[in-house]
Amino acid sequence: MTLLYFQYFQLLSLLLAIVCRKGLSSFSIGILIPILLVDNISDLLGANYTRLFHSPDNYFIFNLYYLVSTPLYLYLLTIMLKADARERRRILYVGLAIEAFLIANYFFVQGKMPFNSFTALLVNLTNFVFSCLVLARLALRKEEDSHLLIDPYFWINAMILLFSLVSMIALGLQKYIALNHIQVDGKSLYFALMQAANAALYTGYSGAILLCQMQRSK
Amino acid sequence: MPDAKEQITTTILAVIFVLLFFGVLFIFMLSYIHYRRRQNAREKKAMQDQFDQQLMQTRLEIQEQTFRYLSEEIHDHVGQLLSLAKIQLSSVRDTEPVDHGLVKDVYANVTRALQDLRSLAKGLHAGHIRHFSIREAVDEEVQRIRKAGGLKVSVTSEGEEKKIKEEKQLILFRIIQECLQNCLKHASASNINIGFTWYAEQLRVRVRDDGQGFDTEKASALAGGLGLENIRNRALLSGGSSVIHSRPGEGTTVTVQIPYE
Repeated sequence: MTLLYFQYFQLLSLLLAIVCRKGLSSFSIGILIPILLVDNISDLLGANYTRLFHSPDNYFIFNLYYLVSTPLYLYLLTIMLKADARERRRILYVGLAIEAFLIANYFFVQGKMPFNSFTALLVNLTNFVFSCLVLARLALRKEEDSHLLIDPYFWINAMILLFSLVSMIALGLQKYIALNHIQVDGKSLYFALMQAANAALYTGYSGAILLCQMQRSK
Repeated sequence: MPDAKEQITTTILAVIFVLLFFGVLFIFMLSYIHYRRRQNAREKKAMQDQFDQQLMQTRLEIQEQTFRYLSEEIHDHVGQLLSLAKIQLSSVRDTEPVDHGLVKDVYANVTRALQDLRSLAKGLHAGHIRHFSIREAVDEEVQRIRKAGGLKVSVTSEGEEKKIKEEKQLILFRIIQECLQNCLKHASASNINIGFTWYAEQLRVRVRDDGQGFDTEKASALAGGLGLENIRNRALLSGGSSVIHSRPGEGTTVTVQIPYE
């Protein structure tokens, strides 16, 4: 079984999330556990898919991953946005529209086997916009004694924002990079970028989970 | 070809780094905004606490001063009159016939003591002020002083009279009372003028006397001196301001400006 280096960070964050589940619940982000579970399973399968199933690529796994993880991420972001009933309804409509597009793309437009780059772009763009909104709302909230740097929501969203930025470029150019064999230090530029971005993302998640637990203990 | 690939790689990396830079900058900006907002909120709270503390201090001072005034008034006026009445009554003996002149004197003294008490109660009780405008309340106070005699008090008014918030009216009335008390007790004045100027947003009241005046700096340095601090604090308490102008031999002018709302 192959494990890429960022997957250690991913596994660590999942373990931390399970251990600190009460801390996550106290911040109403228990949904992070299924999200991390889906991330871990899909990346584990993705890293070993070609060897196990003798397939030329692992795009099938990630196409499915986007279909499953997008509603979960949207739910997480909606909670962190502390949206009121009206906003929640709007986000639900947006989420349904996005999910409908992803399903249509998966079944009818780009298909199941080729990498769904439109899906990747749309999902990362959505995550980017929502994380910006959450961060702005966190910064402009009125609670006096809240400290942004010790707020788990801040770290989760800051990392989602940066990850989405890198992903939009890397995933958008994924086909181009693969076709032209663009490499850094003998590795595909796409993999190098995505692994680094993933490592940063899951480090941020781990930090946020620990902050949840620490603040719950207080 | 390898050069072209290198160029593309560099470009992609550069674009990603620029985007990451803006992303990080955005996050830092938000953190900074949050930090500033927290700092502002903290400063505002500290100011509010300080103001509340001052307010409490001023209230205590006002209360203290009121008790002192009450004690002095009772001792100097009502007490004296009742003591005199007691002495007069103690001279009456069962064996002697009733001295009608003495009884009349006692009656007069007790009546004056009662009047003084009523007047004192009226001056202290805020209830009646609430039913009148500031102008009417001041007129009534002036009548009281005029009755006592020895002083010429005039009241002038410029502009159209406007309604002042109830608490502010009471504070302003207490300030004017304080000024009048100062004139009566310390100024040795023969004329006092109370001038009302009704502006669009605020009322200016100027209490001017032709008394002996005083050195404002020295008086401010003295603890409790002439209640100047009380006048200032009360004006601040109602969101206004006060200026006390005086020089030895030149009389005293106290100007208070208070917003209506």
